[in-house]
Amino acid sequence: MAAPMIECVGLTKRFGGFTAVDHVSFSVEPGAIFGFLGPNGSGKSTVIRMLCGILEPSEGSASIDGRSVVEETDELKELIGYMSQKFSLYDELTVDENLRFYGKLYGLRREALRKRFDELLALTHLEPYLNRRAALLSGGWRQRLAMACALMHEPRVLFLDEPTAGIDPVARRELWDLLFEFSGRGMTLFVTTHYMDEAERCSHVGYIYLSKLIVCGVPDELKLMPEVNPLGTRRIDVTCEHVTVGLQALRHKEGISTATVFGQSMHLLVDDAVSDGRIREYLAEAGIRSVDLRPISPSLEDVFVALTAKHSAAGGGERI
Amino acid sequence: MKLFRGFGAILYKEFIVMLRDPTTLFFMLIPPMIQMVAFGFALDTDVKNMGLIVYDQAHTVESRELVDKFVNTETFKVVGHVESVQEMESEIRKGHAYAALQIPPDFSRNLRVGHPVTVQLAIDGSNSTTALQALNTGLAVTMMESIKQLLAASGMSSIPIEVRPQMLFNPAMKSPNFFIPGVIGLVLQMATLFTTAMSIVRERERGTLEQLLVSPVSRWGLMLGKLIPYFCLGSAMAALLVVIMRFVFQVPIAGSLLGLTVSLLVYVFVLLSIGLLLSTRAENQMQALQMTMTLILPSVFFSGFIFPRETMPWIFYAISTLLPATYGIDLIRSIVLRGAHFSEYWPSLAILCAMAVGLFSLCAARFKRKIG
Repeated sequence: MAAPMIECVGLTKRFGGFTAVDHVSFSVEPGAIFGFLGPNGSGKSTVIRMLCGILEPSEGSASIDGRSVVEETDELKELIGYMSQKFSLYDELTVDENLRFYGKLYGLRREALRKRFDELLALTHLEPYLNRRAALLSGGWRQRLAMACALMHEPRVLFLDEPTAGIDPVARRELWDLLFEFSGRGMTLFVTTHYMDEAERCSHVGYIYLSKLIVCGVPDELKLMPEVNPLGTRRIDVTCEHVTVGLQALRHKEGISTATVFGQSMHLLVDDAVSDGRIREYLAEAGIRSVDLRPISPSLEDVFVALTAKHSAAGGGERI
Repeated sequence: MKLFRGFGAILYKEFIVMLRDPTTLFFMLIPPMIQMVAFGFALDTDVKNMGLIVYDQAHTVESRELVDKFVNTETFKVVGHVESVQEMESEIRKGHAYAALQIPPDFSRNLRVGHPVTVQLAIDGSNSTTALQALNTGLAVTMMESIKQLLAASGMSSIPIEVRPQMLFNPAMKSPNFFIPGVIGLVLQMATLFTTAMSIVRERERGTLEQLLVSPVSRWGLMLGKLIPYFCLGSAMAALLVVIMRFVFQVPIAGSLLGLTVSLLVYVFVLLSIGLLLSTRAENQMQALQMTMTLILPSVFFSGFIFPRETMPWIFYAISTLLPATYGIDLIRSIVLRGAHFSEYWPSLAILCAMAVGLFSLCAARFKRKIG
């Protein structure tokens, strides 16, 4: 395996008596899209800020491309791009001026700046808005501009803190298309998100819960973890009419450990002892007849739910 | 180059932000001019045409002449005649007049035979400035009259000692001339401090500061880039205020214009550095505003703007030595009013220069390229 692009060892941040990030260790390969998940306040942004060298870790170490985020911040800053949660832009400046400003900030000379400027315009399709003030852009375009600004200096690693919060689905899809393109060109991406479908798109994911990283790895491998697939159980998808009624009928039955609605169907985790026929019987009792059952593999959400439950049971602190 | 990394970019951005933000431009240019004009007219402590009540019991040529003498000083203006001591007092209490003159019935008779006469001048002492002026004028008028009588009686042609006062600088003793250069110092302080005090804390609130911290911009580059645009605006404002002083208030500039320009530029730089320093410390714009006010208020009282520093209790004198306004106002007054030469005003300028370098370095040194 190549040397990791991002590496954290026992990274910890305490604010007074509160531990925001608790001994987090992981590494990200070059060119990976690393999805960093976790509920609000679990420490995602704090980890990003430490990796970007703007927040001092209380304990542990982290490096990007072998450069320490504590000691070698000047070299580090050339390597990384950062797009914060709020798409922080200068509202008084136009799209054109925002891009130029960030280019100049990273010391791009006239020729290099123009070249990069044109490249990013082609990539983000911002041309029609060049003379518009950033304040007047809609969410999706603001996000594109913020990303273009963060990319002016061609960083090797791009940190995106909830890049898709509050933007429309089309813009969200287009953003991910861009991210895949960057990844294909060798850029390493570190993305925090709340959306499970986005997590499924990442090449690697980490899940932070109550300041601790509880799982980290390749999505398909995580889905095979024994904690997610307890021995003697299976996951099935139940498609039927009146799923919410069906859910009530199945929820507290012996041998059915989880039951969740997904649109027109339910996902169940059932003991092998409970046969498909038994499930049909339960549903028939609730007046539901036409039922379609099929085995499924766990989703990432299932992985995180299972691991969170296990973590809480193991005395991982109060649930929020 | 490395020390000032990112300076050009910050400068570029700050100029655009400054020029596109109409509120900053407005607050930096309009209120100072209004303050200057308002202060200039309001801070006129020359007392003229104070209301005088006359209780003339004599009703003679001599008594009327005495009243005329009072009026001729231009300090007094007769606003009414009364017929009793009670009325006299009541008029002053009501605030209709500052002073009342009572001339006894035997005034002319006694005067003609050379007997001493007593006139009474009642003064409203609640405002010490006007009271003092009324007292001095009243004494001077009656003394002159007495001397005239004595000269006539003794046969001497002139009085033994005569003072010929000569007012150096500000010969007409117009108080606006004294205050207006000081007003420039204060008004500049108010307008410039706010602009930079808001600058960094505003970025902190909007989240753009985080974006800057992630970039390789250096602290010196950031600070200087933030300061220069407001320095240009502040200098323009200083020029405007000097023009108002010279042509609206007709205060002549006795000293060198170059000296005044250099002094004002250094003064503005110091003020902007203080603003920046506050901005790096403040957590939000409200806090920055409060810090600025905390600094501006003592400057009004302790900078020597109104009260001479030399007569202050030592603690206030000590405070005044720390305020840039003290030196700024001193420089403007020395050069404009007294026509001081460089050899005479350099200590104040040197202190301001030291403050400029010290405060700006402190801004850059204490600014953390970290959050939290």
